Amino acid sequence: MKKKLIVTFVLLTIFAMTLSACGGGAAEPTEPVAPGDTGSGAEPVSEEKVVLRLWTHQNNAFNAGYETIIEAYMQENPNVEITLETFEYELYLQTLQTAMPAGEEADILQMFGTWTSQYAERLEPIPDTVMTIAEAENTFYSAPVGGFIVDGVLYGLPQEFNLEYGGVLVNKTKFDAAGITFPPVWADRAAMLADAQALTEMDNAGMMSVAGYNFTGSDALAFDFLAGIRQRGGDYWNADQSGFTFNTPEAKATLEWMMSAVEAGAVDPVLFNDEENWVGDSFFQSRVGIGYIGTWAIAEGLANYPDFADEWGYAWLPSYEGDPVFVADSGWGLVVSPNSTNKDVAWDFVKFATANKANAEGWNIASGTIPAMPDVAKSDAIAAEMPWVAQALDLLPYGSYLGNMPDRDLVVYDILYPHLILALQGIETVDEALEAIDAEANATFE
Amino acid sequence: MFKRNRVKSKNKGGGLRVGQRHFILSVTIPMILYEVIGIFALLWAFILIFFKYSPGRAGGPILGLGGSNPFVGLQHFQNMFTGASLEARQFRISLVNTLIFAFVVLVLNLAITLPLATLIESVKSRYKDLFRMIYFLPVLTASVGVAEMWTYLYDPQAGLINAILRALGGTPVAWLSDPRAEFFGISVSMLAVIIAYLWADYGYNLVIFIAALQSIPRELKEAAMIDGANPWQTFSKITIPLLQPTILFVCVMTMLSSFQVFDVVQVMTDGGPNHQTRVMVLDIYDNAFRFQRMGWSAAVSFVLFIIVMVVTVIQMRVLRTDWEY
Repeated sequence: MKKKLIVTFVLLTIFAMTLSACGGGAAEPTEPVAPGDTGSGAEPVSEEKVVLRLWTHQNNAFNAGYETIIEAYMQENPNVEITLETFEYELYLQTLQTAMPAGEEADILQMFGTWTSQYAERLEPIPDTVMTIAEAENTFYSAPVGGFIVDGVLYGLPQEFNLEYGGVLVNKTKFDAAGITFPPVWADRAAMLADAQALTEMDNAGMMSVAGYNFTGSDALAFDFLAGIRQRGGDYWNADQSGFTFNTPEAKATLEWMMSAVEAGAVDPVLFNDEENWVGDSFFQSRVGIGYIGTWAIAEGLANYPDFADEWGYAWLPSYEGDPVFVADSGWGLVVSPNSTNKDVAWDFVKFATANKANAEGWNIASGTIPAMPDVAKSDAIAAEMPWVAQALDLLPYGSYLGNMPDRDLVVYDILYPHLILALQGIETVDEALEAIDAEANATFE
Repeated sequence: MFKRNRVKSKNKGGGLRVGQRHFILSVTIPMILYEVIGIFALLWAFILIFFKYSPGRAGGPILGLGGSNPFVGLQHFQNMFTGASLEARQFRISLVNTLIFAFVVLVLNLAITLPLATLIESVKSRYKDLFRMIYFLPVLTASVGVAEMWTYLYDPQAGLINAILRALGGTPVAWLSDPRAEFFGISVSMLAVIIAYLWADYGYNLVIFIAALQSIPRELKEAAMIDGANPWQTFSKITIPLLQPTILFVCVMTMLSSFQVFDVVQVMTDGGPNHQTRVMVLDIYDNAFRFQRMGWSAAVSFVLFIIVMVVTVIQMRVLRTDWEY
């Protein structure tokens, strides 16, 4: 009998340990300690030896920026040791999703601001002693900080303004060959389209070999579509942001303009899309005259295509009509795990990395991203290193946050993009596409 | 009393010899580890089937189940087959695509490997090894590498296949991205992926068939020829029936791997264009890791498991033999 009891006890212990391993044993909350200086790291937050882990997705340019900041922070806080652990993008998503329920995630996590609403239950809110929402809104542009605010709670601080709207890579070599003025000065979209038509090239078999205006990547299509709706005075959110309104005259006018660009021969959406000739690749393969993509693609494209010999530049599109209002994702930023045993130091580092002007500037230059802080975006160093940011300074204040969608990736990549590209490819009509988008996007609220 | 003490005394010593204890420990520990790592993962996936679970939500106090990860019973299965939601429609598309993929791959694989194995078996023995090696080489190639290579071959502007078409005066095709292109009701993109998959996979079955052909007693064929059978009759009446156990094995293994195809599809098309190459494992992956619908994904995995099991059982029933040679 006693033996049976022991065996039962052992089995139950193993079972309980198994459950607890998967249940995500939340660490005991630590008493918040007042952080040191506001992100300058001048005053060490703690004298005890502190070891922190920082998880980011793998991007050499981004990570070079993080390594510099970590080194600077550890110099100012000799008792703190921060280890940078990076994961390939898809693996990073999987790791977050498995580590967070188990409570095994790093102390500090790189997070795309727009994801915050999906992970909010597993993130530590920023203590007011570190930064209040009002302070954050004064420190950063509204679009990047907006994603880190969920139900009136601030969960992290942004590092970049993820601008997918309006920016285009332009191939000077092709502009010169076509006899078009470079850098382009487009009064309106029609002027841009005329240039695009001149840049388009076909091969002997009648297949498009160079797209004059490749705007058929998922980010470009989706964010240009949303901006078109806003610029025409419409909105894709209902009044209380509890549902979408995609089947509107403004949406229809925007999609019809896109179809007119295809009909004008600016791009063949069957040959140029996310699966084939993605703009981030095809531009650097000299297959595109004007390529619609965010500035983040520049560093990556140049690294991936070292033999790309064409002269190029970066330009900004005119609005469809009226002010160039647009919506943007909240880009990459930093958050802290509620399971960290050193949350105070982790927050101090986050503030040091994101809200300190010099550190933020260094990171944006290293990563080639648009600064989340207006002060940094307007700095001389940014103007010298990234002239396209200086050109966009007038545009950035027109940006607002995309809004907390139930699942942003689902709406953008599996609903908006597929139907927009199907319409451009002639598989769906404009009305069919908008009806499907409206129905499917609203179903994500269920 | 005395007897009882003796028993007690025996138990005190463990009742087992050192070797037996060592054996039990060396078996028990790996089994417990297997149970924790393997069985628990399966059990967890099975539990998730009944919940609308997302790892991003904290959920209830026990394993994160309940609360914001609510219990939904069999609702996932009901939605899969009758729902109008995007994920339900994508599931149904992926189910049809997976069935098309698996059956076309099976038919083409058998149509290529069996005659080719017979041909190779008929050549002089010094060339057999060479052919076997050549045909087996793609199997050794990493599937992602194969997918990348075929993606380049299919490239509409710079690909070799369109270059040949152009040289012959034909019209180039966007093999992997044109949602309008189809051939006998199957999308061209699906056929393009199937060809790439077949190229990488058929060498495996070929080697198995060659081995099976070599094991057929020569006397049986010679007897048939003496009785006046021509080569086709020998092949169809002697070789094929004797290959039946091998054909069963090849069919089961090919179907199993085809139902689980993922890497080639993800690299070449990522399910596009217009979901025409979206297969079930890709659907499972996307739902689990892109859209954090772990409960839904677990339910789709369960359906895939049932399909694979049913198809395997049917194949074993239809193709089984009660004899050996």
